[in-house]
Amino acid sequence: MKEGRYIYSVVSSAVESELGDVGIGESRVYLVPCGEIAAVVHSCVAEPYVTKDEEKAKEWVLEHSYVIDLATDRFGTLIPFSFGVIFIGDDDSVRFWLEENYDLLKEELEKVRGRSEYTVQIFCDEDLIKEKIVTSDPELLKLRDEIEKMPKGTAYIYQKKLGLKVKEELIKETNRLAGEFGVYIEELVDEVKIEKKVSWIPDKYKGMMMIAAFLCLVSDGNVDALGNLLDGIDKREGFSVRFSGPWAPFSFVQLKGT
Amino acid sequence: MALEVDEKNLKQGLLGLVVALVEVIQDLVERQAIRRIEGGSLDEDEIERLGKALIDLDEAIEKIKEDNDLEDVVNSVMGSLDDVAEDLLNKFLNPESWAEEVDEK
Repeated sequence: MKEGRYIYSVVSSAVESELGDVGIGESRVYLVPCGEIAAVVHSCVAEPYVTKDEEKAKEWVLEHSYVIDLATDRFGTLIPFSFGVIFIGDDDSVRFWLEENYDLLKEELEKVRGRSEYTVQIFCDEDLIKEKIVTSDPELLKLRDEIEKMPKGTAYIYQKKLGLKVKEELIKETNRLAGEFGVYIEELVDEVKIEKKVSWIPDKYKGMMMIAAFLCLVSDGNVDALGNLLDGIDKREGFSVRFSGPWAPFSFVQLKGT
Repeated sequence: MALEVDEKNLKQGLLGLVVALVEVIQDLVERQAIRRIEGGSLDEDEIERLGKALIDLDEAIEKIKEDNDLEDVVNSVMGSLDDVAEDLLNKFLNPESWAEEVDEK
């Protein structure tokens, strides 16, 4: 079996130290320093972590995240690695990789220093916005009144027509709102990305329409201001905002080419 | 990789797919009906008859969904179809992102 090092993150630290037996499967987690940066690793065999047991997999991922949180508390914002990255070799191999990519890693650490990742998702009550669209457009209002007096079959088709028009306007309106909110948010964050695939949302927001999902890299000093801005949006009638974090900046560090 | 096939799942999945496709066609037919009416090629009686036929179709689809507990399956197929369509449109409208995606791989 080849020797390996499981890597959790790269942090700003110039000294060797230990985080304790806090890693996956209670592995001993320690730092491999190189200049002013260090890799947070545990020693393992160079075999991927694979299991068919879903509970076990969840436990591993949680343990992985726990080490990232712990290292963040101790060393400040870091470059997080996804679950399951293993170097083939020993501490020297890790050190060699750190040396090879030193400038890039240092630059990325500098970029995220004093900042964290937050997710912002904005939801709205679709029915409420649709109602506003109809009541603010005389033509749509007239069509809706006429439908009530039509015979059943005819009413069905015109109802579809009304529905399509309203849906078209709904898309325009929610795009406009997302753009407007995006501009406000952009002023308070260092970097913003659109979250393309939102994998999970809490039950509380199910049944609401998501109009925007942003990933934001936010300076510690701006978090309160962003929170206040989002509170304001959340208080608007028919809107709800999910603001979560701080997370390690998974979406904002580029390790391409390493 | 071996596939584990559960007969009930298979039936639901297949029926769900069929119903989802019928719903896509239903939507197209309804849009076409609206276009015909707007074009003035149908008289009042024809519109009413067409509308009633569309209601019958809608009710039949709803009943099949209800009887076979297909609501979730159909929604999930529709969701996936939306994703596929959006992905395709994005690639045509924004070829740079396509190139980036290929680079990443």
